[in-house]
Amino acid sequence: MRGVQEKEKLKKIRIEVCGIGKRFVRRFKKERKNFLEYLINPILNREKSMEFDAVKDVSFSVSEGEVLGLIGRNGSGKSTLLKLIAGIYTPTTGYIKTDGSVVYITGFGWGLKTKLTMKENIYLIGTIMGLNREEIDKKLEEIIDFSGLRAYLYTPVFQFSSGMISRLNFSIGIHCLEHKKPDILLFDEAFSAGGDIDFQEKSIKKMEEFIKEGATVVLVSHRLDLIEKYCNRVMLIENGKIIKTGSPSKIIEYYKNFTKKRDRNLKD
Amino acid sequence: MKKHWGKIKRILELAISLARANFKLRNEGSYLGILWYLLNPLLLFLVIIFIRVAVFSHSKIELYPLYLLLGIIMNNLLVSTLASSIKSITENSSFLTSMKIEHESFVLSNVFQFVFSHLFEVGVFALFMVFYKVSLMGIIYYLIILLFFVLFLIGASFLFATIGTYVNDFFNIWTFARQILFFLTPIFYAIKPGDFIYSLNLFNPFFYFLHISRQVVLYQRLPEGWMLLIMVGVSLFFLFFGFFVFEKFKNKFADLL
Repeated sequence: MRGVQEKEKLKKIRIEVCGIGKRFVRRFKKERKNFLEYLINPILNREKSMEFDAVKDVSFSVSEGEVLGLIGRNGSGKSTLLKLIAGIYTPTTGYIKTDGSVVYITGFGWGLKTKLTMKENIYLIGTIMGLNREEIDKKLEEIIDFSGLRAYLYTPVFQFSSGMISRLNFSIGIHCLEHKKPDILLFDEAFSAGGDIDFQEKSIKKMEEFIKEGATVVLVSHRLDLIEKYCNRVMLIENGKIIKTGSPSKIIEYYKNFTKKRDRNLKD
Repeated sequence: MKKHWGKIKRILELAISLARANFKLRNEGSYLGILWYLLNPLLLFLVIIFIRVAVFSHSKIELYPLYLLLGIIMNNLLVSTLASSIKSITENSSFLTSMKIEHESFVLSNVFQFVFSHLFEVGVFALFMVFYKVSLMGIIYYLIILLFFVLFLIGASFLFATIGTYVNDFFNIWTFARQILFFLTPIFYAIKPGDFIYSLNLFNPFFYFLHISRQVVLYQRLPEGWMLLIMVGVSLFFLFFGFFVFEKFKNKFADLL
């Protein structure tokens, strides 16, 4: 009886994506050769724009506790898809249903305020991520230890190297997440942006903890070793469409061949 | 209801934290720091007083320095808040495109930080009131008017933030418009019913706040009832209309950033 109940629990759908599409407008700047053109062009010759579909008619679902990997080349629509699930973008067509709290975490550009000190940034980003002051007070020590940047606590962030910024970003993000205990985690290239190998390993271990606790995870990464190690299922995306879904080893193999074939075609 | 209240509480908490951080940011690395808030309006005040004494020495306006200073600080609050609100969404694009976050907080935090600096200016204004022997009770009445002015500013900021996200040139348009507004609103001169400029100002929402504040704070007079009604109406209309427009368009902001 208990086994049946556990199976039922496993089957619970956390993310349901149905026929989703996202259309953006891409603008093209006209090259202006001289000052006269600068004056006249905005009136007579407006910028051209073109609509393009970043994600096209995508449907899938993710069950509770499942770790889904998304792979594909740059610009294939992986991040857009994650941002759609996170609710940052609104879909042009289709719908998305999520069951539980969703958090999107990326290793890039979190918008640290560079003139503020590291400590001030921890409080600012912590608040933005939904923690109150007392909650951040409790997490502060852990964040500082995890980042390994204790000596720079009162240094303005503009004096940090890009690797240090990345460490700080991730440390704040992951500890705030830990506090909120989200049901669904969306990692967008969160483990390969800037930090050194030690830090990457530390970050990956943190993700492992989330997975063990039963969070539903969607992982976007160009690190195929991570995808193979942690994902139950992988989807290959190309030009905004899912072209293949299956077990990690099968899809990664397919992806490698697919990339080689495409490169050969491009050379020819 | 409880869910809505929770959301409002979170938006306000975030807005206050952001306002605090931005307030610090604005003063970071600046030698005079917070004094800049007072210096700009005070310098403008001195210039106008000088011109008035040198050129038009026959001043007819009672308590002219206070009349002028109140006009300047209220105008300062209006134009700075709105100029900054135009960029409040675009300048926070890194947050808005990397997490699901209440967009309203960025607009509100912007209003809060300028209201906070306005309170410093009100403090200086109170010192002037003491110097000119005007009752300080006026400041308490002013805070009530300020409450409605802030509601108006919140609504207008929502509206400006929405337009600013869609129209890149809106900031430049506002830079130009605020100069016209400065000269058309009776900030450094007086107007009376029947004047052309008075009729024009009846269409200027800011005029009502300014006129009523002066009546109450400087001259301890009860403002005209119809003006009070319009002031309250304008605040609430802008608040709801601005919020409505913002809510309608906010889902598309991330696409534009």
